[in-house]
Amino acid sequence: MIKRVMAKPLSWIERALFIDFIRGLSVTIRHAFSRTITTHYPYEKLTPPKRFRGFFAHKVVDGNEPQPAYDEWVERFKIEVIPGKSRCVVCMLCKRACPVPQLFEIEGKKLENGRRVVSVFNMNLMLCTFCGFCVDACPVDCLYQTDIHETASYTRKDSILDLELLERIGRDWQARRENEPDRIWIDDSQRDKLWHENDLKLPEPQFRGRHEW
Amino acid sequence: MESVIAGLIIAVIKILVILGIVLGVGAYLTWVERKVAAHIQRRPGPMVVGWHGLLQPLADGVKLITKEDLFPRYGNKFLYNLAIVLALVPATLVFAVVPFGPEFELFGYKIKPILTDVNVGLLLVFGLGSLAVYAIAIAGWASNSKYPLIGSMRKAGIIISYEVAITFAVMGPLILAGTLSTYEIVQRQIEQNLWYIWVQPIGFVVFLFSLLAETGRVPFDIQEAEAELVTGFTVEYGGMKFGLFPLVEWYVEVLSLSAIAVVLFFGGWSPINIPFLGFVDPLFFLGPFSPYVWFLLKVTALFLFILWLHWTLPRYRIDQITEIAWKVMLPLALINIVLTAIIAPIVWR
Repeated sequence: MIKRVMAKPLSWIERALFIDFIRGLSVTIRHAFSRTITTHYPYEKLTPPKRFRGFFAHKVVDGNEPQPAYDEWVERFKIEVIPGKSRCVVCMLCKRACPVPQLFEIEGKKLENGRRVVSVFNMNLMLCTFCGFCVDACPVDCLYQTDIHETASYTRKDSILDLELLERIGRDWQARRENEPDRIWIDDSQRDKLWHENDLKLPEPQFRGRHEW
Repeated sequence: MESVIAGLIIAVIKILVILGIVLGVGAYLTWVERKVAAHIQRRPGPMVVGWHGLLQPLADGVKLITKEDLFPRYGNKFLYNLAIVLALVPATLVFAVVPFGPEFELFGYKIKPILTDVNVGLLLVFGLGSLAVYAIAIAGWASNSKYPLIGSMRKAGIIISYEVAITFAVMGPLILAGTLSTYEIVQRQIEQNLWYIWVQPIGFVVFLFSLLAETGRVPFDIQEAEAELVTGFTVEYGGMKFGLFPLVEWYVEVLSLSAIAVVLFFGGWSPINIPFLGFVDPLFFLGPFSPYVWFLLKVTALFLFILWLHWTLPRYRIDQITEIAWKVMLPLALINIVLTAIIAPIVWR
């Protein structure tokens, strides 16, 4: 059954005195004289949450690898573990998980002593959708996403992350945020201010006046 | 002979001052509008170019001037350019009959701060106001594109409807003042100790609605209607040619019609009025500059009120707009004329 719904029209007095105009104007004037809620982007920046899906990075070998998974994968692929270098074991699971696999370009090389190490790891962010499947797939907690979100570049070449850059971003991120508790919103004072300044009090739903139906 | 030359020099100085003020202020009103709009939406607005974005109009101007000048294929180049002139000139010419203050004496010459105190000033205002529709209709036609054409036809419909309403709305103050000269209207209000807003509230409301409609301000900005028509009749214009239309329509015209509204309803340069008793001037310490400041304050207040309306209200449909014009505003204006005729003898005394 269709329920017929219609707002009660304004009365003649309300129309003649522009009551609805005045209500709208009172709302806007209150907002005009309250504080602005924006962030001045290039000068002020919000810190994204730790789980933000930004630029990619490789965590480096620093003794915090997930055990025993890391040792198992190292043994399986005979990987040479070099402290301070990428944890990557060249398992290609990230490429397998990716919806656009051609954005990965991964190669390993064999060292003199017969063990292997990752030599090429290029990610073409032109193709990337930042979905994070590759991060979920990584068995050794190597590839992951950081809070760097300013992806603009002057050339297309700049949008390709190579191994060296990934490691550099990784070292930087591990130094900055590795130990942070994993929460949606961190204790960012600016964000906190914006969040609580609004003082949002939702009123009880009231059905009366001309919105009554 | 000497007096003729002096008159000419004075006129030239007046023209330069008025043009400078109007176009300079018009450019800076873009900044004001952006600030007001931003704060209503709880943004700070332009902040980067200069202190609180004060140099933003200059940056915008440089940007617009250095842009490529595009012209639509199969458009009419002559009319396309003529539309710009037709938009700018009448809107600016209205300021020729806006009185900024009382007569004063300088070096033995009596100077009225009004460019031409013609005795049919108001007729001139509405004649020039009606010319604006040609600019818009021609702009839409010459662009050879469907959005501009639709936008200009809508605007033409609105202006034709509201020209009638605005003309009848100013009839009230005219009856009370008994003259068409803008300078004389203000003088009468000062002599009668009465701002006409006190006895002409209906007339003022009709005038305000017509002002919004003629200048394409919300809630009557149907010729722009960004969501439907991109920007209406200015779609095919580029660079400074594009910048000129909003400058004229939204700022110069609003300013000129606000000034006319202040002259007609708020006693021009006179200070705060207590009906039939007299004037209270809290700005007496400014001496001879007080009238100019009062005029400026009133126009500014009215302009800000129009901005406030613009950034508050939604937009009417075209049929609703014309319906308001013919079915509500015109009868109201006619009733107002009858009421005014009844109370006029009280005001004349």
